[in-house]
Amino acid sequence: MFQIPVAPPLPLAAPRALSLALAAAGPVAIGGILAAHTGVIAPLAAAPAIVFGVVAATSPALYIAITATGDGPPLAAVARALGSALGAFGIALAGLVLPAAFLSLSSVTAVTTIMVCSCALGGAAVLAMKRLSDELATRTLSAGVVTFVWAIATLGIAGRLWWNLASEAVS
Amino acid sequence: MSGAGTGGVIDLLLRDRAGMLTRIRTGNVTQILRTMIATIAVAMAIVGAALGSYRGDEQIAYAAIKLPLVLLGTAALSAPALTALGAALGRRSRLATDLALVMSALAFGALLLCACTPLILLGRAIDLPYHRMIVATVVMFAIAGFASLRMIGHALSLEQGPGWRSALVGLCTVFILVGGQLAWSLRPYLVRPRSPDVPFVREVEGSLYDAITGALRSARGIYLRDSAPLREGDEP
Repeated sequence: MFQIPVAPPLPLAAPRALSLALAAAGPVAIGGILAAHTGVIAPLAAAPAIVFGVVAATSPALYIAITATGDGPPLAAVARALGSALGAFGIALAGLVLPAAFLSLSSVTAVTTIMVCSCALGGAAVLAMKRLSDELATRTLSAGVVTFVWAIATLGIAGRLWWNLASEAVS
Repeated sequence: MSGAGTGGVIDLLLRDRAGMLTRIRTGNVTQILRTMIATIAVAMAIVGAALGSYRGDEQIAYAAIKLPLVLLGTAALSAPALTALGAALGRRSRLATDLALVMSALAFGALLLCACTPLILLGRAIDLPYHRMIVATVVMFAIAGFASLRMIGHALSLEQGPGWRSALVGLCTVFILVGGQLAWSLRPYLVRPRSPDVPFVREVEGSLYDAITGALRSARGIYLRDSAPLREGDEP
């Protein structure tokens, strides 16, 4: 039977459990920054819910689509890649929380806080997508396109939900 | 670290930055950090005092205190971002080494600015108009900032590990945003000679981003105030 070669995993900067904990704690911290500026506590719980909810809702589609192209790694490898990408998201966000908190606390308008928090979440999310792409290591154009389209859709859904949350907190 | 050792590290930083980068990777990071913090503090205090001399009196001390805080604060807030963004993409990074790298690069920039202080003092001596002095200062800081970021970029490119480009772009973004905002929050540094009072820091009027968006809005003819504020006794 033809076996699709699986790329070796990239080194993790932190243990898997710690990096996944950071993936949960990072959005809580960013939600906390928004909550501190607006006085609305909903972002504290809603921000991590958006991250994990959107990934949970869209990740089966990624597996199905790249497997259908014939270039998809096995289910376990896709799950491991998604875990690594979520961990990368948490680690990247951990480094951006401090600058984001400073930029938000030293500004007076809510728009600045929303922009700063959105940039921190968006930047970490883009890095996580790059990590996911590296981990999946697909070789065909169709699998690459599928991964790219999935990333755009996932970022778009999460971005829209985050924007609605932030706008509601400010209003 | 002995005085000769400190001087040796500063000389290495100015003369042989490739050697300095090797020392950061293999040497005693704590000693390097200590030297670089002291270098930034002293060099930026000199630059701040030179800028403050444009107004004179207490502004010399104010600017000499604030400018080192801007650079050290920027380094403290930016270095973890370099480590985290690189680590997220598989770069083998250590916070202490990255902090030493960022501090060394900023110390190099601070020393370049220190070398520019005769030009600042010349501007004061020939009574260079305030706005020209501002432009000259911005150019000097831009050159020093570019040199600092170039040193960090060179160090990361030598690693050739995964994620170094993304980490560098992320660091530059965080560095510019945080450094700009911290400098904005602790202004003024350069004050008109005829200014009667000099505050240590101005009241919080919003972020640098708020000021830029406000200026762009005003440039398009959209004003949020009915008129510009006037001094007492001035005709509208």
